[in-house]
Amino acid sequence: MSALLTEVGESEDVLRRAQEGDGDAFAALVSEHESMVFSIAWHFFSDRNRSEEIAQDVFLQLYRNLGKIETCAHLLFWLRQVTSRRCIDEVRRAGPRRISLDDAPELPVAPSSHDPLASRRLRESISTLPPRQRMVVTLRYQEDLDPSEIGRIVGLPVNTIKSHLHRALLALRKKMGVET
Amino acid sequence: MSLDNDLRNALRRVPAPEGFADRVLARVRGGQTIVSVSERRQAGLPVLHWWRGIAATFLLAAMLGGWGAHEMVERRREAAGQRAREQVLLALRITGEKLAHAERGVRHITSE
Repeated sequence: MSALLTEVGESEDVLRRAQEGDGDAFAALVSEHESMVFSIAWHFFSDRNRSEEIAQDVFLQLYRNLGKIETCAHLLFWLRQVTSRRCIDEVRRAGPRRISLDDAPELPVAPSSHDPLASRRLRESISTLPPRQRMVVTLRYQEDLDPSEIGRIVGLPVNTIKSHLHRALLALRKKMGVET
Repeated sequence: MSLDNDLRNALRRVPAPEGFADRVLARVRGGQTIVSVSERRQAGLPVLHWWRGIAATFLLAAMLGGWGAHEMVERRREAAGQRAREQVLLALRITGEKLAHAERGVRHITSE
């Protein structure tokens, strides 16, 4: 418990130092959250370059708005919110520009007992979902967030999130041939 | 295996590309804080589209072409004016010489 509190205290200290202009502290914040930000964009676009561009823009926006961040929990919420909104805005502005997962490089992930081909087929199915459903599914399963948290991030009522999630899961079950 | 577990597995976080943080910090240090179209749009700055660049190029070419043509006409007009002035001066000189010659002839006749 005390170790956890120390860790939280250290994170808050890193945030405070970054807000005071410490470049190393800002670098530490980027390193800590880059995987989360990049992964949201990657699971949304399945396009490495586009995902990196979005993720870089999110951190530059963070740099300019560091003074508005109150706590580490707020930072996490802010990053998820800005990333998801940028992804949806980008796909609305520029269109899908979706690439086939066959063309997308396989990114390194921790080894697991799951079938990699099944995961790939599932990601391919996710990439065909409408943008909002895709983002809701990404936040639900990548970030393990509940519908109310997702609602606050994407700015939609919790019932709308539940509806998006329900429709997305139905569509995915159908595509994957999973019995309901 | 449930779909929930499959989704959790398929949507696991992946590492950011190699050197990602360095590229972010380079953009921060380089002052390139507003570089992408989306960022420019968010910052309320004008977004440069390729068609605007082409239109600007055509407009500039048209303006330069018009100015060049105007300059050419002006130079031609000046040259024509200069030539006319020289011809008038030449005519005046010839007329003056003729008059002087006639005056000398008249004086010669009257002196006889």
